[in-house]
Amino acid sequence: MSAALAASLPGSKRIRVYVWELPVRIAHWLIFFSIMVLAATGFYIGHPFISVSGMARDHFVMGTVKVVHFYAAIVFTLAVLSRLWWMLMGNRYARWSQFIPVSAARWRDLRETAKFYVFARRDPPPTVGHSALAGAFYAVIYGICLVMIGTGLAMYSPMAPLGSPMRWFSFLIPIFGGLPTARLIHHIGMWLLLAFMVHHVYSAILYSAVQRTGTVESMVSGNKFVEPEALAEEGDD
Amino acid sequence: MRLKESAVRAKLTAKGREDSWPAGWAELGVSRRSFLKFCASMAAILSMPPAVAAKLAESIEKAEKPTLVWLEFQDCAGNTESFLRASRPTVAQIILDKISVNYHETIMAAAGQQAEDALAKTVKNHAGKYIAAVEGSIPTGADGAYCAIGGKSALQVAREVCGNAAATIAIGTCAAFGGLPAASPNPTGAVAVGDAVPGLKTLINLPACPANAENITALLVYYMTMKQWPPLDQYRRPLFAYGKLIHDNCERRAHFDAGQYVENWGDDGHRHGYCLYKMGCKGPVTFQNCPVIRWNEGTNWPIGCGHPCVGCAEPNFWDKMTPFYRHLENIPGFAVGTDVDKVGLGLTAAVGATFAAHGVIEIARRKLGHGPDQGEEGRKGE
Repeated sequence: MSAALAASLPGSKRIRVYVWELPVRIAHWLIFFSIMVLAATGFYIGHPFISVSGMARDHFVMGTVKVVHFYAAIVFTLAVLSRLWWMLMGNRYARWSQFIPVSAARWRDLRETAKFYVFARRDPPPTVGHSALAGAFYAVIYGICLVMIGTGLAMYSPMAPLGSPMRWFSFLIPIFGGLPTARLIHHIGMWLLLAFMVHHVYSAILYSAVQRTGTVESMVSGNKFVEPEALAEEGDD
Repeated sequence: MRLKESAVRAKLTAKGREDSWPAGWAELGVSRRSFLKFCASMAAILSMPPAVAAKLAESIEKAEKPTLVWLEFQDCAGNTESFLRASRPTVAQIILDKISVNYHETIMAAAGQQAEDALAKTVKNHAGKYIAAVEGSIPTGADGAYCAIGGKSALQVAREVCGNAAATIAIGTCAAFGGLPAASPNPTGAVAVGDAVPGLKTLINLPACPANAENITALLVYYMTMKQWPPLDQYRRPLFAYGKLIHDNCERRAHFDAGQYVENWGDDGHRHGYCLYKMGCKGPVTFQNCPVIRWNEGTNWPIGCGHPCVGCAEPNFWDKMTPFYRHLENIPGFAVGTDVDKVGLGLTAAVGATFAAHGVIEIARRKLGHGPDQGEEGRKGE
């Protein structure tokens, strides 16, 4: 599809670039699916809308939902941590410098991308990896993910079995202002992630349509089809 | 229970100690049998094996009289009430008898200068040896004018008395965490004992509103027996009483895991004793041994009689655990009782609407205003 798309483009001088390495794509989709499961089960834990009748011993609805939530949380935590690790190990498009704008070029790119979003510019500045604006946004999202992991571990620690190493995380409870506040933060974090997801899907489609580099498909194949100038431009990052 | 008792009694009788039962205690109406029962229940509260009851009995009888002063600051004397009506009042009297209570505003005979002298004398003569029990929070506002005793502010009294004590026990949520007086907006600048007198070497917090008499007594029995204080958690609460979540020992837990909840007061679920989680129960975030030792001679406890836990033993419970009948605390900046999940759903919808509008405008401006050539020029111009 992408190759065909690239070939169909005017000029066809676009170059195929392997942007998203396998660990990046795996982490991305694990994070996505685990968040879906976590949000659904988490919403049930906060608002148990299914009620069952009869003897309690015949049912285990909340119990099951909680177990699924915890397993999904393990997947989520490991995926997020692996991705953070890959920010140090991966290629230039996976690195931390894609997320935290330190160079003047990235700040300029951030401003220009913002201009595109407020219709002050026709096309977004050409990018190969993340645009500086998206990268900075993702840095905040990773921060929220870490807060979700932290509040989750804090809330899990007292229910971990005696002697479990997970009990050690109870040191996080006062850091988040006590268990009730940790729970409130956990709810807020979920909505921020879901709201982000809405924006993220829209922007991916928008970029795909405007830049025609195969943004959406790249998250599966890893490849983008970019114009040579874009590659040359990012050389001075 | 029966087994424990007989084992304990056999041990004590074998030593021929039945005869040595103090006459004074018999006069108080405390039989040896009820005393041993008391020791067995203390062993249970402290999570010790039944055989320890004999050891407890022995050490309580032989223990040196620890000196105790009981200070009251911004309080309602609820913990005093709780302690004096300890579930076995006559036996608790023994503990009082075994402890030299040199100062306690509510129960002491002395008043005025005489009373303050007793306190001053204890602090001076028993410096570094007595136990200071504190009830109530300590106001720091208006230079301590909100609570003054004998011309000294609560802050001064606390620093002087707790600072010279061998150990300080903050009894009740007000003393342990500030409690009701420290609730927002905290008009008197009330603080917990630990914050008012920083650097106390031995501080034990016994929160709850009021602290359970069984736990107060068990703490003193532990000290008299072991000559040391029990292990504490990160909020300096004894683990024997605050080591487990209420939720984990709750008799309604099976209904929680099954998915059976009270939806409205007095509904079918409520009558069947379903879980009170959706009625705002704070058992899942509160540490105390209520489900095990219960209240009022083990008669019942809040969740047992159909009321959700309000989390009275936790820090800042007036601010953090309210609204009592809702699952989540208030969101700062929103009206009381605003559901964070409704706000969140609104936010997500707003983001969706914003970007839907963005998409429409994006398509419109591409179709109408700007041709591609213009765009190319625009790009070159930058």
